[in-house]
Amino acid sequence: MELSSMIPELLSALPLTLAIMFVALVAGFVLAIMATVLRVRRIPVLSQLADLYVSYARSVPVVLQLFVAFYGLPVVVGLFGMKDFITPTLASMVGLSLYHGGYLSEVIRPAYLAVERGQHDAADSLGYTFRQKITRIAGPQALHIGLPGYGNAVIYMIHNVALVMYIGAADVMATAHLIMERSYNQYQFGTYLVLGVIYSMLCLISWLIIRFFELRFARYHSKTAPAKIKLTASI
Amino acid sequence: MFDIDVLLPDFLSILDAVPVTLAMALTIFIFSTLVGGLFALIEYRKIPVLRELVVAYKIAFKGIPMVVMIFLAYYGLPPALHFIASLFGVSYNAHSLPNWTIVIVALTACVAAFQAEVIKGALNSFDTGQSDAAHSLGYKNSQLFRRVMFPQVIIAAIPDLANSFMVIMKALSLAFAIEVVDIFAQAQLTAALNYYYLEAFLVAVVFYMVIAYVVTKIADKLEARLRIRT
Repeated sequence: MELSSMIPELLSALPLTLAIMFVALVAGFVLAIMATVLRVRRIPVLSQLADLYVSYARSVPVVLQLFVAFYGLPVVVGLFGMKDFITPTLASMVGLSLYHGGYLSEVIRPAYLAVERGQHDAADSLGYTFRQKITRIAGPQALHIGLPGYGNAVIYMIHNVALVMYIGAADVMATAHLIMERSYNQYQFGTYLVLGVIYSMLCLISWLIIRFFELRFARYHSKTAPAKIKLTASI
Repeated sequence: MFDIDVLLPDFLSILDAVPVTLAMALTIFIFSTLVGGLFALIEYRKIPVLRELVVAYKIAFKGIPMVVMIFLAYYGLPPALHFIASLFGVSYNAHSLPNWTIVIVALTACVAAFQAEVIKGALNSFDTGQSDAAHSLGYKNSQLFRRVMFPQVIIAAIPDLANSFMVIMKALSLAFAIEVVDIFAQAQLTAALNYYYLEAFLVAVVFYMVIAYVVTKIADKLEARLRIRT
């Protein structure tokens, strides 16, 4: 096994992996904000739907969510009378966005609620609208409380991007399988070890980026709010 | 396109895999809690060299995705066992190791890193005034741990432990890659027989959501009953 030829080949699939991840991170964030607003404001039917969505995203394995997206999206597209244009890459983007949105909502909501009650009351009594309260008072504080949780969510996103291979997206894992099969499956252990190093590096880089922001937002630190929210694993 | 009639047969077929999945998850849960507890204790007591090793272990096992870990165990564990056996002069064919043991070992190793974090958090929530009080009453360290610390720490950890159990349930879905059949793998096998993929997967989704709901409810009840009101 030549590492010098294997690593460039593995890295050539990295842009697709990163693209899937990036789309899922952005779309998931938007979904998470929407779900959190619905859950915090308690609008009758919509809030229950948001709760159901979050528990779907959190209690169903990501592989299964990907498969549901892969087989479910063509049905949804068919309902709108369109031709089936769903590719594995698109399905994995949608699947991971849905997963990330639900997981992140459960990071953002506790962070929002951890902002001290008195701060909400003060904003309300000063006549701030909901939007002003979020952007000027609760938001920055929640951002500081929630950032470690967000870092955690990004790291699990990197872990879960490794699963898109199963619905046929040509990511790093799929490339590794191609490489292994080409050498008649002699070097599986070594190849997986290299994969492990690549994913660890991705995690390390994203952790450093989040850490940088954590230090920058330290000025929003509130002495009364709980310093930490719980970090949970997610597969 | 979407057939309601296959839902019931699919449901019954996937139901077969539920006991096995729960049993595997429980085994992993017990082992990983024990190992994680050991790690947490090492960090809590600040034992010199072992502590650095635990930190390194946690970094390694948190950075690498569980799929990759399962594959590493699948290809690495039998040769490693073979090697160790030959060191002791025992002839043992480790390649006959059943796949489910590999899954249990790999996931135990992964989840132990998370469990260590959970238990460390619970240990840190313990009020040190109580240990001072126990010492002043002449408790030995072992007595302090058994009579004062453990009952409180375990209750503080219940919600997180329930969450870890669900993480294990979900992580078992990755075991289909090395042909261990859990709820997800059973859904796939069922779908492969009748080509109704979406239906089978939706039934599996319902299974997972119901199990998560039941586990959360049990944890809530248990915590409410056991918590000492102060």
